[in-house]
Amino acid sequence: MQMRPQIQIQSVIKALSDVVLPAIDPNNKLAIEQGKLSIGLLALLAQQLPNQFRFDCDELARLIATARELVAQAKGGKGTQAAVAALYEATQLAGGTLDAAQASPADVEAMVRALRVTSGQLVTEVYRDGEAGCRAGIRDAVLAMSKEQLLRDRSMLLMQGWEPDPKAVPSIASLLDASAR
Amino acid sequence: MTADKSQPSAAWIAELRARFPTEREIDRVLTRKMQRRAGPGYQPLALETLVDGVRSLLDAELNTPYELRDARWLSGGASKLQMAFTLEWQHPQDGLSCTAMVLRMEPSESIVETSRLREFQLIRAMEGVVPVPPVYWCDSEGDHLPYPALIYGFAPGVTKPSTAASGVSGLGTQLPADLRAKLAPQFVEHLAKIHTAEFRGKGLDAFDIPEVGTTQCAEWGINWWERVWEEDCDEDVPLMRLAAAWLRANLPVLDRAVVVHSDYRLGNFLFTEHDTTITAWLDWELGRIGDRHQDIAWTTSRAFGAMAEDGKTFLTSGLMPEAEFIAAYEKATGLSINPRTVHWYKVYNDFMMATLSLATGYRTARGSKTHQDVLVTWLIGIGPMLLDEMRTLIEEAV
Repeated sequence: MQMRPQIQIQSVIKALSDVVLPAIDPNNKLAIEQGKLSIGLLALLAQQLPNQFRFDCDELARLIATARELVAQAKGGKGTQAAVAALYEATQLAGGTLDAAQASPADVEAMVRALRVTSGQLVTEVYRDGEAGCRAGIRDAVLAMSKEQLLRDRSMLLMQGWEPDPKAVPSIASLLDASAR
Repeated sequence: MTADKSQPSAAWIAELRARFPTEREIDRVLTRKMQRRAGPGYQPLALETLVDGVRSLLDAELNTPYELRDARWLSGGASKLQMAFTLEWQHPQDGLSCTAMVLRMEPSESIVETSRLREFQLIRAMEGVVPVPPVYWCDSEGDHLPYPALIYGFAPGVTKPSTAASGVSGLGTQLPADLRAKLAPQFVEHLAKIHTAEFRGKGLDAFDIPEVGTTQCAEWGINWWERVWEEDCDEDVPLMRLAAAWLRANLPVLDRAVVVHSDYRLGNFLFTEHDTTITAWLDWELGRIGDRHQDIAWTTSRAFGAMAEDGKTFLTSGLMPEAEFIAAYEKATGLSINPRTVHWYKVYNDFMMATLSLATGYRTARGSKTHQDVLVTWLIGIGPMLLDEMRTLIEEAV
């Protein structure tokens, strides 16, 4: 998926800064202020995006550690005991989630990129000096993977309006749900 | 070797040139692009800067007084900056004239990196063959303007009817049936004239002529675009590697060398609405001397077509069904169309368009190299649809 948020945000900031903002009527102070704030928020978003997942994991680890301390120290009547039980249960769930979140989105993206490159290199080499008999299988595997992946890529970008028959493309949510099952 | 594509080394540029031999002028332009890549991005230019550049070019080209006025920005097109202006000057044939003109200039790096010299020569060569805008001067190396540019006449007409809806670059335009009926015959006739025109002796020295009876034409083409993919892509795509290998394994033999427009479609010609006459063919920058099947395949691409009112009939370039288009073309030219070669060029064209949208579109926007990175980024989104069309075509060929 080449159309990632970072390049979109960068281009929108440039268009707003270089073209749109200078064209606003200098007497329209509200529009100028909101234009600048829009650019500022987009810049903040660009800075946040790569770190957001690790930021949340970092906070979750801190909260789990603190919750365990709270559970250990809290003593009291029924109300306190019920709260301790609820926090204990929530901490267990949170711990499981944190344990499962070992790879970050950046890690996953890096592996996607690496496998794209190395798979492509194998295709090139097989057509260059591989045994002729294996080419059909290699070709069919790449075509089959591409068919499924490109359906998801197209669905992800459906609102741009490129599809001649948009109703033929399932929603990205339904496709990802189906993959996860 | 893993290359830093934002700061390409001289050794990597040399390696790409050796791996992908193509026409000399294409090689020169792509090499120049890579040598300049590490330089600054596009900085917003004042209109006055362009006016000064045009004056410098005119001072070098004209030896009579002139007056340049009414300079203004033009929108339209994803790849070049355009400025309209009026020139009062001594026209070589018409004497004292007041001529509406357009400056067409490259940004720092374009979504389509091409040669202004080739564009200039090809439009000149097509004068008298099909309607083209008059082209006046070329600053092929950016000696006068900030970047390479050419100046041509302001042809009358529109690219789509005032009432039609379409997306960026004229894609997806819906034309009413009566307009289609009048434009379609001209559309076919002009393509036939381009493909049957004599191009030798027309000053096309920025073009190399591929050898008939060989696969050289197709090889130059795939070398051109695979080189651009290597130069520009960020995320690799296994399907692109498969497509390149498939194209090389199935190269067609050239049976006749002709002028190929390479972007022949609705949205790239002007017509006057009062008499529905095509007045100018635009965007010759990808033109080459090559195989007519390339234009046939391009024109019939799904990306440039539209559905008829019945919702079932797909119209080539939004004008006529593909079978009718091919039959009319063969009749007008006396040249046959080989479906296998068209099929190969459909894969080739998708490979080229996917390269431009996914690789060059990303690379130019990432480097802040154009005057409209936001549009270039928007166009990245068409990539998956093009790839899927290419995938289907390869499957159909198996």
